[in-house]
Amino acid sequence: MTLSIIDFGAGNILSVMNAFEAIGEEPVLVSTPEALASADRLVLPGVGAAAAVLEELRRDGMDEALREAVVDHGRPLLGICVGMQVLATTMLEFGETAGLGWVSGETRDIRDLGSPRAPHMGWNQVVCGEVETPFHRELNNRSFYFCHSFAVTGTPADITVASAFYGSELTAVLGFGTVLATQFHPEKSQLDGQKLLEAFVDWTP
Amino acid sequence: MLQNRIIPSLLLRGRRLVKGTGFAAHRDAGNPPTTLRAYAAQKADEAILLDIDATSQNRGPDLETVRLAARECSMPLTIGGGISSEEIAKDCLDNGADKICLNSSALDSPDLISACAHRFGSQAVVVAIDVVDEAGVVSLYDHRAGQVLPGHTWLDWLAEVGDRGAGEIRLMNVNREGGRQGYNTNLLDAARTRCDLPIILEGGAGTLDHLSEAMERGCDALALGTMLVFSDNNIIQVKRFLKNAGHPIRL
Repeated sequence: MTLSIIDFGAGNILSVMNAFEAIGEEPVLVSTPEALASADRLVLPGVGAAAAVLEELRRDGMDEALREAVVDHGRPLLGICVGMQVLATTMLEFGETAGLGWVSGETRDIRDLGSPRAPHMGWNQVVCGEVETPFHRELNNRSFYFCHSFAVTGTPADITVASAFYGSELTAVLGFGTVLATQFHPEKSQLDGQKLLEAFVDWTP
Repeated sequence: MLQNRIIPSLLLRGRRLVKGTGFAAHRDAGNPPTTLRAYAAQKADEAILLDIDATSQNRGPDLETVRLAARECSMPLTIGGGISSEEIAKDCLDNGADKICLNSSALDSPDLISACAHRFGSQAVVVAIDVVDEAGVVSLYDHRAGQVLPGHTWLDWLAEVGDRGAGEIRLMNVNREGGRQGYNTNLLDAARTRCDLPIILEGGAGTLDHLSEAMERGCDALALGTMLVFSDNNIIQVKRFLKNAGHPIRL
């Protein structure tokens, strides 16, 4: 099985690599559509501004290759932080940008959503809602490391798997099709993060 | 709810950890990867690793140490020391740092804050502000010169750092470092009038009660060095004490 981490030249790619290696995986970095197409399982990490991440993804057709691999061929995808936000329709960050639009919803400043401050930085507990998820045991009431000023909102209720409270309910986990997406950073969340990564690696949706 | 953070702050010198008092008198404090592995197992919420010789030797942090440390650090890792350019910052991030910490280089060229925030995102940019508090008169401190910086108002600098896109502040009370007389929470109260970012308070932790008092006064992120390094305290005990005292703490 090839576990591929999409590399768009920004941020903590090595943290994601380290975390998967710590659970015995041998992740590879991919930065071309061809390399992406040969992945059995994908991780879309993301730090920084969503618009910049989108620009990198759209360069050379990585976004289309990702859609083919995940939506058409059903390869499992883990989106992390901005790697979750870009899946929404609209990003309201430094103006309005079109997201990948895999799910309806938009990314907003958390202060507009009722959070006292931005960024929401630190460990927060995640609570699962009514939606059934194969990751319930790894998610519900566990603490993960968050670090973000924007959050996804307005997504359909049947894909919103878990939330975290910071002045208001913030979307913490989305799940749909073969996609698991987390606003928090499992790769920086010690044991609870490791267990979630293990569950993702074992997941056959 | 969001939990308060307990953050070990580690000083690096010649690939070994050291700890001192008032930015001097450093003693050996162990091996970086081994120590970080232990702190991760004890559920430290983050870690800060500062190469204290980097600035004076006109270089960035020791990347080999960063790389080895990052492999053991299953929580966010902030790296600082001599980060005087975007390229050095990128080297740190590429070697496993999650955030970089700017200090004197930000004072020299405030544009570095904006440049790093733009390129790596604000969440990756911590700015350290060192101050001394002499009977309530708080001044910015320059660790290179070993003295206060005349002509700078620390609160103005704090506000500017925020405006330039820093994602987090590490506020160090230099004359309490290693002194174990408790945190100076007056600094946090003053800082909160000018800055809405997360603020990590550092300098002076000596007893468990000091940590609890600081949290009662509103600190939600505390860095500690001496108290972990040269005492019987470990992070598990520290966090359990704070949790029992009623603070939001992840165990």
